Amino acid sequence: MLESLWVVLDMHFHGFLRATGVTLQLTFVSLVLAVVIGLIFAFLKLSRNPVANLLSHAYIGIVRGTPLIVLLMFLYFGISSIVVLSSFWAGSFALAIHAGAYVAEIFRGAIQSIDHGQHEAARSLGMARRTSMRLIILPQAFRRAIPPLGNQFIIGLKDSSLVAFLGVSELYSSAMTAAAANFRPFETYLIAGLYYLVLVLIFTVLVNQLEIKLSPDRRTAT
Amino acid sequence: MNVIETRNLHKHFDELHVLKGIDTAIAEGEVVVVIGPSGSGKSTFLRCLNFLEIPDEGSEILLDGEPIDPARDNLDKVRERMGMVFQHFHLFPHKNVLDNITIAPENVKGVPRKQAKAAARELLEKVGLPDKEKAWPSQLSGGQKQRVAIARALAMDPEIMLFDEVTSALDPELVAEVLQVMQDLAAGGMTMVVVTHEMGFAREVADRVVMMDDGLIIEEGTPDRIFSEPAEERTQAFLGQVLHA
Ligand SMILES: Nc1ncnc2c1ncn2[C@@H]1O[C@H](COP(=O)(O)OP(=O)(O)O)[C@@H](O)[C@H]1O
Ligand SMILES: [Mg+2]
Repeated sequence: MLESLWVVLDMHFHGFLRATGVTLQLTFVSLVLAVVIGLIFAFLKLSRNPVANLLSHAYIGIVRGTPLIVLLMFLYFGISSIVVLSSFWAGSFALAIHAGAYVAEIFRGAIQSIDHGQHEAARSLGMARRTSMRLIILPQAFRRAIPPLGNQFIIGLKDSSLVAFLGVSELYSSAMTAAAANFRPFETYLIAGLYYLVLVLIFTVLVNQLEIKLSPDRRTAT
Repeated sequence: MNVIETRNLHKHFDELHVLKGIDTAIAEGEVVVVIGPSGSGKSTFLRCLNFLEIPDEGSEILLDGEPIDPARDNLDKVRERMGMVFQHFHLFPHKNVLDNITIAPENVKGVPRKQAKAAARELLEKVGLPDKEKAWPSQLSGGQKQRVAIARALAMDPEIMLFDEVTSALDPELVAEVLQVMQDLAAGGMTMVVVTHEMGFAREVADRVVMMDDGLIIEEGTPDRIFSEPAEERTQAFLGQVLHA
């Protein structure tokens, strides 16, 4: 068995690596968009404007209440009479819209978790509401958001496998194709799983590094 | 010349009537200590002075003789002219000591970084922490944090400083170092409104002691007069509790 695992790995190593590149592109593009979307909707939800509030609630509610695969199919096939998106971009947008809702909740929670005294101290120094948000609240909220964001990003990385159903040759899709051709589903999917696992582990380390980098006060003084 | 004057200052929190008509004036260079039982409205009074709380309609607050209208005036500009120090410090934990002090002058007043840093170092000297500029707030004792908070407020070069129970959260052995900084500040001519239970400080530093109860100033006078012959029964009772605590 170990031998056949080796054979399959040898056969698909490079192909899977290329597909991993596509997976990473999908993940990266969608998560950057998700952060932008998440920030916007976090502010809308925190805003005192009832229309903004409603918009944000509706968006988050809809995303939470529908499976990602439905959104994927909808953006690729469902609206093709209005806009035609390439499978890569339909996939990226769907992943972004999906993750954006969770990112919005993460940012909203992080912003609300900052002690109100921070904002008051900033205001007492003459800072406008925006300045206080930009210089005092958001930097602290970002730092606090990193662990849950990292978690969400890992979910996003794994969710990108669903884009296989739009025909994008990312990692999972390559695994399906390979397994169908080599009649070795056990080894093939095991290897694909390992590729994902390694990506997630690397990513976890990067997130931890980022958290340390953004927490200068928790390092020892120099 | 009065730096700040309030006329008929009222404040409601929904149904709760917290300030019930405060009339007072604080002269340039004057140190006013505000005392009174918990819940009497001392913090709310201070917070109305710099519009962290918006006073009720009909209240008047004058800064350097100019009435401030919260609906029209830019309150950020108004707050630039007043420093405030809080019981719980509220230092910015993501900034080191020096940046805590420079952040407002740089970003609110547009003071160049170099100049802001030089001024901050002078202030750190003044509050007795010249070697702490690179420290993070989390590495400081309570007394050190509070002295940085005072320096941070002073960095905006305010006309008046507001202190809200700034030693109440400190371990007893750290109180003196903070009071000393405040005393130096008073000696330097700063106009100050100080809410505190430190009667020794009031006796030594205050020009005037104001006793608040239930949203009103019930009596005021020199510290000597208030402490030796309080006119109001509620003042006597309050002082009795604080002094014998
Ligand atoms: N933001 C607020 N919302 C509602 N009630 C408040 C608020 N701030 C203060 N109060 C109430 O106002 C009263 C006076 O409070 P405060 O000014 O903090 O008194 P003090 O500083 O003298 O202890 C208290 O009953 C307090 O519960
Ligand atoms: Mg108080």
